[in-house]
Amino acid sequence: MTSATPLLAIRALHAAYGKIEALKGVDVEINAGEIVALIGANGAGKSTLMMTIFGKPRARAGQILYEGRDITDVPTHAIAHLRIAQSPEGRRIFPRMSVAENLQMGADATGCTDAEREATLQRVFTLFPRLKERYAQRGGTLSGGEQQMLAIGRALMSRPRLLLLDEPSLGLAPLIARQIFDAIRTLNRQDGLTVLIVEQNANHALKLAHRGYVMVNGLITLAGTGAELLQRPEIRAAYLEGGRHG
Amino acid sequence: MTAKPATGIPSLLKTAFVNALIALVLFSLMVGIRTEAGSDGQLTYVTRFGELASLVAIVFGGSIVIELLRQWIGPTGTEKLVPPAIQSGMSFVGRYLAPALLIFTLLVPVIFYDQRYILDLGILVLTYVMLGWGLNVVVGLAGLLDLGYVAFYAVGAYSYALLATNFGWSFWVCLPLAGILAAFWGVLLGFPVLRLRGDYLAIVTLAFGEIIRLVIINWQELTGGPNGVTGIPRPSFFGIPLDNSDDGLAARLGIEYSATHRIVFLFYVILALALLTNWVTIRLRRLPIGRAWEALREDEVACRALGINTTTTKLTAFATGAMFGGFAGAFFATRQGFISPESFTFQESALVLAIVVLGGMGSQLGVALAALTMIGGFELFRGLETYRMLVFGMAMVLIMIWRPRGLIGHRAPTVYLTKAQAISSDLVKEGHG
Repeated sequence: MTSATPLLAIRALHAAYGKIEALKGVDVEINAGEIVALIGANGAGKSTLMMTIFGKPRARAGQILYEGRDITDVPTHAIAHLRIAQSPEGRRIFPRMSVAENLQMGADATGCTDAEREATLQRVFTLFPRLKERYAQRGGTLSGGEQQMLAIGRALMSRPRLLLLDEPSLGLAPLIARQIFDAIRTLNRQDGLTVLIVEQNANHALKLAHRGYVMVNGLITLAGTGAELLQRPEIRAAYLEGGRHG
Repeated sequence: MTAKPATGIPSLLKTAFVNALIALVLFSLMVGIRTEAGSDGQLTYVTRFGELASLVAIVFGGSIVIELLRQWIGPTGTEKLVPPAIQSGMSFVGRYLAPALLIFTLLVPVIFYDQRYILDLGILVLTYVMLGWGLNVVVGLAGLLDLGYVAFYAVGAYSYALLATNFGWSFWVCLPLAGILAAFWGVLLGFPVLRLRGDYLAIVTLAFGEIIRLVIINWQELTGGPNGVTGIPRPSFFGIPLDNSDDGLAARLGIEYSATHRIVFLFYVILALALLTNWVTIRLRRLPIGRAWEALREDEVACRALGINTTTTKLTAFATGAMFGGFAGAFFATRQGFISPESFTFQESALVLAIVVLGGMGSQLGVALAALTMIGGFELFRGLETYRMLVFGMAMVLIMIWRPRGLIGHRAPTVYLTKAQAISSDLVKEGHG
């Protein structure tokens, strides 16, 4: 499983909000072509890890290596240029701008040719045909599921190698959530996209992922393949049977 | 769609009764009792229950009238179903309003050639249209609430005034310089406020506007302080002066000199400057930088995650807006021939901001209409004297109640599919998707 250099390697990462330590030495590795799930309860630090990769908040200590290069101190906006894309928590689409403009925003900063942009756009439409139907509509008028599709589509428009997804199934109907997970699987299998997915829906996420990490209070407590983790009694007790989220 | 509030006479009376009660509590001390100094200096009071009762009655009746009006016009926040005929008529008007207005504006000096007052008013309105369009870049597009826009107007005006009076440079040389200097100050303001948003940003920009004005007042050697700068040269027609001299434009063309020539010339200069502002803004909106401004207004965190450098995006917004303010300022100086710090008070900033907000943030046509309404309205209601501001306050409150997004709140998208799309944005209005 471990190739020469992982696509993203996080080593002993610490991050804090003021005096509150959110990450207390996290080690995560993501190899090219993998889907890695990060599960854990509310406040475990999952989203913080996601945001720290993007430099907001800055890491207090530790290293983030992308393709072997230290990106711990790269400015937030420059990280997107390294072909890392993020679908942030709460989707954060641009509500007053049209679906078309939202997607265009994803491609603007990374500087691709018109042909590349057009090809990516068509790929996004194949994955999420709803976005094509809603092309001229304002982002804020979309349903929650469509907004999530738009957030992922917008991230894809920068033609990333690594996609960070923060709670893509949050607040979605099970059927829509499954569509989103299917699209992520397709992206991984057909386009070779590497995905780090943060989820409270542990069942879904671990079934989708090749490997998973479990986070508790800013520390990684368990790691293993998705299937392994699904079988662990402590995981089943904590995240599946008792605290199952729809 | 929001739920329709309960209607009917009981709720109507209830609202009116509650309002009357509030009025009773408020006015009982403010109006109901009047204190006076008695003959020996002791405090005496007279009760005025008659006035109190009539005030409460006015509030009671007034709130019934307002409620009825509200139900008649329709509750706020809902889209009324408009008959298709009217809707198509409105979209027809919407499509041809801007070109019609432009043609009319172009013809104003021809139609009203003999009416100096109308021409002066036209120039004033166009100046505010330009200022509105300039501020629109900062407030409407980038969503940065700027309460000190007049500072850039002042920088532009003083740049031209000082360069022209001290070095004798012509208007057309100074105009771009005034814009550049104002843009420079825009960036200078931009740096400290990069991390601020909303209310905090508004306070700092407000302070910035005041600082510029105070510096102008106190730096007597350079700016003349409160006395201002006098004898600012009038603009020339590309080197040919517009005066009564032998080498003036009138003499060269062999026509009789008239003071109106210069007014007409100024009218077209400010019209051209305003249209330039509009054109640049429309162009920029279609480019990545303009899109980034709008995205910044919507969600700064998402912008950064998408690889947009929010620092440069904000600074360019400030600089672009300030540059247009500077152009307008230079024009103002050459038109007046005299400038003083009095022209650059906070009230100007507030007025321009009101134009942008009333016009519908981000809408070019809306801003133009709002400038016409505000400045034209000021003149129209001049007869009302002190009640003028009252009328305006009420008009603004009413517009904000019935059109909370401004006169033209609709925002046209700038990215389209290459081939025609089956669903147009008009069909999929809010809530129908």
